[in-house]
Amino acid sequence: MQGSKRRFILFIAIAFVVSMFLAACSEDAGEKEKDDSTKVPASSDAKSVEITWWNFPNFQALDGEVGKYEEGIIAAFQEKNPDIKVNLEMLTFEGGPEKLNVAIATNTAPDVIYDAPGRIIDWGKKDLLAPLNDMMPEEVMSDISPALLKLSMVGEEVFMYPFNTGPFMMAVNKTLFEEIGELDLLPLDRPDRTWTVEEYEKALNAVKEKAPDIIPSGFYAKSVAGDQGTRGYITNLGGSRFLNEDYSEVAINSAAGVKGLEWVVQASRDGLVAPGAASLEAGDHNDLFLQGKMAFAINYSAVLKSLFAPNKTEDFEDVLLPYPTPDGSDPKLEPFLGGLAVFNNEDDKKVEASKKLIDFIVNDPEWGEKNLIQTGGLSARNSVTGIYEGSEYDYSELARKFITDPPTTADGYAEIRTFWFPALQEAILETKTPKEALDEFAEKANATIEKAKSAK
Amino acid sequence: MLATIRKPNKHKLHDWLMSYLFLLPALTFFLIFVVYPMLRGIYMSFFDYSITSFEFIGWENYVTLYHDETFHKSLINTIVLVAVAVPIVIGFSIFVAMAIYKKSEFIRSFCRGIFYLPAVTSVVSVTVVWGWIYHPNFGLLNYITNFFGMEPISWLGDPKTALMAITVILITTSVGQPIILYVASLGNIPASYIEAAQIDRASPGQIFRKIIWPLLMPTSLYVIVITTINSFQCFALIQLLTSGGPIHSTSTVMYGVYQQAFLLGNFGIASAMGVILAIIIGIISIIQFKYLGNDVEY
Repeated sequence: MQGSKRRFILFIAIAFVVSMFLAACSEDAGEKEKDDSTKVPASSDAKSVEITWWNFPNFQALDGEVGKYEEGIIAAFQEKNPDIKVNLEMLTFEGGPEKLNVAIATNTAPDVIYDAPGRIIDWGKKDLLAPLNDMMPEEVMSDISPALLKLSMVGEEVFMYPFNTGPFMMAVNKTLFEEIGELDLLPLDRPDRTWTVEEYEKALNAVKEKAPDIIPSGFYAKSVAGDQGTRGYITNLGGSRFLNEDYSEVAINSAAGVKGLEWVVQASRDGLVAPGAASLEAGDHNDLFLQGKMAFAINYSAVLKSLFAPNKTEDFEDVLLPYPTPDGSDPKLEPFLGGLAVFNNEDDKKVEASKKLIDFIVNDPEWGEKNLIQTGGLSARNSVTGIYEGSEYDYSELARKFITDPPTTADGYAEIRTFWFPALQEAILETKTPKEALDEFAEKANATIEKAKSAK
Repeated sequence: MLATIRKPNKHKLHDWLMSYLFLLPALTFFLIFVVYPMLRGIYMSFFDYSITSFEFIGWENYVTLYHDETFHKSLINTIVLVAVAVPIVIGFSIFVAMAIYKKSEFIRSFCRGIFYLPAVTSVVSVTVVWGWIYHPNFGLLNYITNFFGMEPISWLGDPKTALMAITVILITTSVGQPIILYVASLGNIPASYIEAAQIDRASPGQIFRKIIWPLLMPTSLYVIVITTINSFQCFALIQLLTSGGPIHSTSTVMYGVYQQAFLLGNFGIASAMGVILAIIIGIISIIQFKYLGNDVEY
């Protein structure tokens, strides 16, 4: 009995030591695997190259089938480039970012990614991407607005090939205002549709009085999703920036920023904002609008309008509006920007093949415009206009002049945004004053910016 | 003499070897998919492991967590969640099991089915339904409380109610298995013990405390340990319903692990959180075994 117990303990001890050994050595093993994998295609076939493209649902699904449109692009690309094989993997907006983080950490990143600057520029700063400067000659660079270029570059290096864009703004249920006979309260007769906070308040109060079953406006602070909406709303309501010009410090805790958040808190008290904002996320807020239960939505764009169209449960006309500002001056709208990037997986052939795919998606005479229309967005190039018909697209084109530089490419932004929604929750739930909540956010965010800058 | 001693030893060695050979397939999977990730997690917790770096930093991740207010809040929330959910799950399960175990086969099966349903239903579906029950504007619960003249409450959006709202869902999804186990255990208690006590004029309370509860102890120990571990690892409900908010009032250690690893890419800190959680669960399980498992033999 004693002997078998001893043997068992010995066995467990050996198993433990072997596992520890495996754990300690696995890093080297991972490296070795990576080296091997990059060598195999080169030796097996010197001409052909296989690349992987991970894509979020940036293109509207064809026949309701996710990835079908992308397969069409790949088939056309491979026909023109028979030596390149493209493997597609579709990501979801919910789980995709996590999958990418894990893939990068385990050396299994894809070759091509179609995403937004927030993540792409972060990877660029960490030297994970291949620069695309050779794809962007002077005439292309000068055809893209500086704000969009700033979002695509780190220093002098271009890491994202900007493709589709459009300003984020708000939307109103125009049909509702027609029904309550208060259409005059909306700035739709002005060409640039700019308006003041006071005018906005009047419109909200008109909904509250004349359509008591409808919630005048919405706000959300449950999670990071859709934070460009809450950022754009508050900065414009108060007339403030989110970060300062050089992204070295938070600016939203200025007097103007505090004023913006105070307005939201006061409007919540006055019943002008959907209750329970602290537990609503961007999707819940959009649903309320699309179900015709809410008059104004604070996170909308031409792209989202076309994406949301199938989800509308009520038949009403949704019209884009810029955020109101204290004095009716031009608003500052953060742009949506989609673009493509190439991961530097230490294989020049794959990098070159990936660049060819990007060039095909964006610039192919036949597929370029078709792809852009499939995203529902405007072109990142200033010279490409008028590809859509309809007043809302016309307005979206016009509103491009209001585009500002968003904070999404700031150092440490991925962490900064995790402090934003708890600060909003504190203010909405009135556990802290807007000033206290924003000061605390600024303190944490500034520390993160400093830490991220010193880590570079 | 020597030969007679050696022979059985050789036999024993053979048996020993054979038994471990049979164990080997299962053990291989266990080592690769359980032991190795566990040890790798401990190893990673001593590194600054992000998407671009893998650098040994000793205890720094643990020191960071020691000073991290959000982690403290998550730890307290986790302990509150366990401290509230586990006793209620045990008490409610025994209550339901006692109420139904003597009933007809149909009623027993019906009740077991009802209470087990949330356990077999996808957690996503469960959270969608509860999301609508708790909805601040159009929720069923506010509709009901409205009849009693109450103002609408943002159940998941108010720090005072959010954690309890999550606990209620956790309880409903956790009671199914204990009820089934308790019903089976109660059926195994010999009726003669209870009849003898009744003849001796023991009250129902005395019968429960002196006969039923001690005989249910093996089941109770299993249920308490498993429910405690599951409650400590509560994650999906929180991720889908509150994302740890509002103001971190429903953030748990498991949610913190997810947030650090998959949203922020800080795998080192996430591993350190995982190790701390595993140590806490281990200590609590040992205490439970020590105080509840003295007379238990499976």
